Amino acid sequence: MSAFPVRDTFAGKHVVVTGVTGFVGKVWLAMLLDYVPEVRRVTVLGRGKKGQDAAQRFEQIYRSSPVFRPLRERLGQELYDLMDQKVEVLDAKLSEPLCGLEPWQARELMADVDVVVHFAGLTDFEPDPQLAIDANIHGARHVADLAALSPSGRYVHCSTCFVAGMRSGHAPETLTRGLSPNGTRFDPEQEVATLEAALRALPSKADRLALGMERAKRLGWPNVYTFTKALSEHLLEGREDIQTTTVRPAIVECAERYPFAGWNEGINTSGPLVWLMGTVFRRLPVRHSVGFDIIPVDMVCRGTFLAAAAALRDESLPIYQLGTGGRNRLDFERALDLSNLAIRRQHRRSEDPFTRYVLSQLSAYSASPDKEYVLGVKQTKRLMEELRNTLKDLDVRRLLPPATFERHGERLTAQVREWSTDARNQARKLKSVEDMLRQFRPFIWDHDYHFETEAACALTERLDRDELPLFGFDVDDLDWRDYYINVQVPGLETWCIPLLRGEKIPVDPPLPARAHPKPQSGEHRTRPAARLSA
Amino acid sequence: MTTQSHQSGHTGPHSAAFFRLEGTLVTRPTLAAAAWLAGNAQGLGERLARLGNVALAAPVALRGDLSTGVTTSRLTWMGLRGMSEDRITVLAEEYVEEFLAGELLEVGMRLVAEARRQGRRVVLISDNIDLVAGPLADRVEADDVICNRLEIRKGKATGRLEDPVIGGNVAGQWARDFAKEHGLDLDQSYAYGASAADSLLLSAIGWPCAVNPDRQLRRIARDHQWPVVEGKDRS
Repeated sequence: MSAFPVRDTFAGKHVVVTGVTGFVGKVWLAMLLDYVPEVRRVTVLGRGKKGQDAAQRFEQIYRSSPVFRPLRERLGQELYDLMDQKVEVLDAKLSEPLCGLEPWQARELMADVDVVVHFAGLTDFEPDPQLAIDANIHGARHVADLAALSPSGRYVHCSTCFVAGMRSGHAPETLTRGLSPNGTRFDPEQEVATLEAALRALPSKADRLALGMERAKRLGWPNVYTFTKALSEHLLEGREDIQTTTVRPAIVECAERYPFAGWNEGINTSGPLVWLMGTVFRRLPVRHSVGFDIIPVDMVCRGTFLAAAAALRDESLPIYQLGTGGRNRLDFERALDLSNLAIRRQHRRSEDPFTRYVLSQLSAYSASPDKEYVLGVKQTKRLMEELRNTLKDLDVRRLLPPATFERHGERLTAQVREWSTDARNQARKLKSVEDMLRQFRPFIWDHDYHFETEAACALTERLDRDELPLFGFDVDDLDWRDYYINVQVPGLETWCIPLLRGEKIPVDPPLPARAHPKPQSGEHRTRPAARLSA
Repeated sequence: MTTQSHQSGHTGPHSAAFFRLEGTLVTRPTLAAAAWLAGNAQGLGERLARLGNVALAAPVALRGDLSTGVTTSRLTWMGLRGMSEDRITVLAEEYVEEFLAGELLEVGMRLVAEARRQGRRVVLISDNIDLVAGPLADRVEADDVICNRLEIRKGKATGRLEDPVIGGNVAGQWARDFAKEHGLDLDQSYAYGASAADSLLLSAIGWPCAVNPDRQLRRIARDHQWPVVEGKDRS
């Protein structure tokens, strides 16, 4: 008998999960259904989008998202049966009390729930602070309120390692309520109330963001994201009605093996850096000695399984940090070298001669973000803006003799307009790169974090050999060279960088529609979503 | 120096076939690998400095004196000092893939296949580093490879080779030590070499054979009545 059997722990349990349309939550749910078919029931709290209710949106995800590819390939049409038997999708509004459910509905739903796993959140570094508060603070509180209605009150909360704030060095798996990273004492409830009141008085998003950033930095957090995530942790820490287990991932990156090596979604931290390295811009504002704590998304999910299983066994610690730096550190000197090598390998396979013979020979290197370089991002952006302004105001008619204008004027005017649009687009792209690099700065230049990850590692040591590859937080075994060359950079090239270039990413052919109609009595098990909507 | 085992559970008779990698299986000299790795360092200035360092070994290597084999090996790899293990490993894989794998000599591959058919342990001997010779041994499906190993400290090459160093002139001692360690009968073993520098290896083995020999080895082979095999085709 294993000292820590994850599958047996989840067997027969009812799990409520949020955020399954997001990067981590989606992978975790797919792994749960794939690896733990013994789970009794999964309730997904989601929201609709673009005319779809939550159930329709979720069905679209499991029919076509690459994350559900292993399940689709293994089960085919039987995936519908699995979903009908195990999964119930409810329309929920996390920003509303009880996630938009009536109190009796919430009580009925939570009566036999064993654990609530909350992934949903807003991960933009600099969003409208009110949106971040709604998603990361109120959303978490409302989901925790639901968990409090369950018999056990077990609540697994997904946060981030970077609640550690603007400081370097050892970051333990602890939290002292009301103590900010720079040592300021504060009252979390009061802080949120004051901030919201101040935000309400500001009509423009820019002003609200400025205020949010100012308050975040005053307490020692680098941005609105980490600030709101941290406030949420502080608020949950004070609750007696739930048993909170917090998981704190570091920088979540391409999957190591689930759903398959290299899978990624959206634009993460490495994406823009690797994209920049593949262009003519070669100076990256990363400090060689700073640790780059990236972690594959499926390793985060494995760590979350361990934390949730520990919660289900009522033996969890309060916090599980899920990073790699504590046990298998990667610094930017090595990350940059490996990225250069991986990009070089990609470029040498290119059919474009410029890419193959010129770009492949160029290497990116570390450069100070405080200096301005000839033809660096900042300078090129300004150049493009000036070019755009010049071309926009250029009157071809005044420059050309009337006869020439008569013959070529229309074509030249169109050409100048096209160049002007190109220059504007380039300037916008460079502006977004500049903004991203500025937002990343605390994590890639200013601060060197050493996140402790002993809690998840200790659980991994108790795993049975059969369950080790499925749920092990096997951070010691991560081979950075292999990961960068064969997983991370090819993964970013496929799933992330096309988005930065304005191109499309690959899509999976959707699972064919149901061969048999869905059982009437089992409209995602029992309840129509609308009945539970607020 | 390092000995890498590439296939476990060898069950054939207690005999081996020793192949000097350079000449019998590939035609590019070891110096070319070092120059290529140095020439693909991170920055342009760094490339030039490293290439200059490797170039220092060229006159010694070309002089071909039997006593300078180890010195040449040491000089050859000094140019990689400070280069990351990641970079050397990835570039070495690239070098094998792009320049060596497609140029394996058909005659050498035929002899390897024959040795395997006869149940002999296939052992490659090279003065190249393990990061180049290892992947190549995988390609050839050799059982073992005896080659040099770069000293790595904190993820970076020190520019030194680990002792004992294999020189360009491969001594029979390597084969004798290997045979002793693995219980092989050298009198029943085969050795294949391509240059005069391999003559010490060939003379230590019961069944020596010259493959595409240079002029000097051809004369030695004739004197000792060693068989000579020719063939420049790529496999």
